Amino acid sequence: MKLGRVIGVVWATKKVPQIHGCRLYVVQPIRQNGQDTGHPLVVADPKNIAAPGDRIVFVTNTDAAQAFDSGFAPVNASVVELVDDIA
Amino acid sequence: MIFAKVIGTVVSTSKDPNLEGKKLLLCKEVDHSGKPLNTYHVAVDAVQAGEGSFVLISYGSSARMTELTKNAPIDAVIMAIIDEVQITGQTTETGDSSS
Repeated sequence: MKLGRVIGVVWATKKVPQIHGCRLYVVQPIRQNGQDTGHPLVVADPKNIAAPGDRIVFVTNTDAAQAFDSGFAPVNASVVELVDDIA
Repeated sequence: MIFAKVIGTVVSTSKDPNLEGKKLLLCKEVDHSGKPLNTYHVAVDAVQAGEGSFVLISYGSSARMTELTKNAPIDAVIMAIIDEVQITGQTTETGDSSS
């Protein structure tokens, strides 16, 4: 799992049925201190946890599908937690 | 998922039986601002995209997680056609605690 900050929204009307109703965000990966690291990526938000500007935790690769109730969705990354604070 | 622009079609007659009936599109990767990158992907089309479409591609084993691509030997699928990407600007520093 990695830390990131939501920097944008991807609007797509036509998408595969597996991700209907699921928001797609552009996320900038960040370090523990909030600094940007690496390139932004697209992350799905199946549980509607995040909003633009929020710091989040996301999972990547095959595990990203596990964030969906069905466990079956063609996504490479999913939001799993909203970060309140990093101590 | 990555952003890409569809730039062509790949036509093939002799192929793996599990690829029968699947449209293969040649896509050029772009970054979140729409700037073209130097990477190309051949992706299976699951959303009836066409040439010139701005799309979202899922890659790797996740690409097999659609009804169309289940059990097929593929590693990239077009899973959404993008209408718009709104970047809220890097001004959102949100007072990150720098500890």
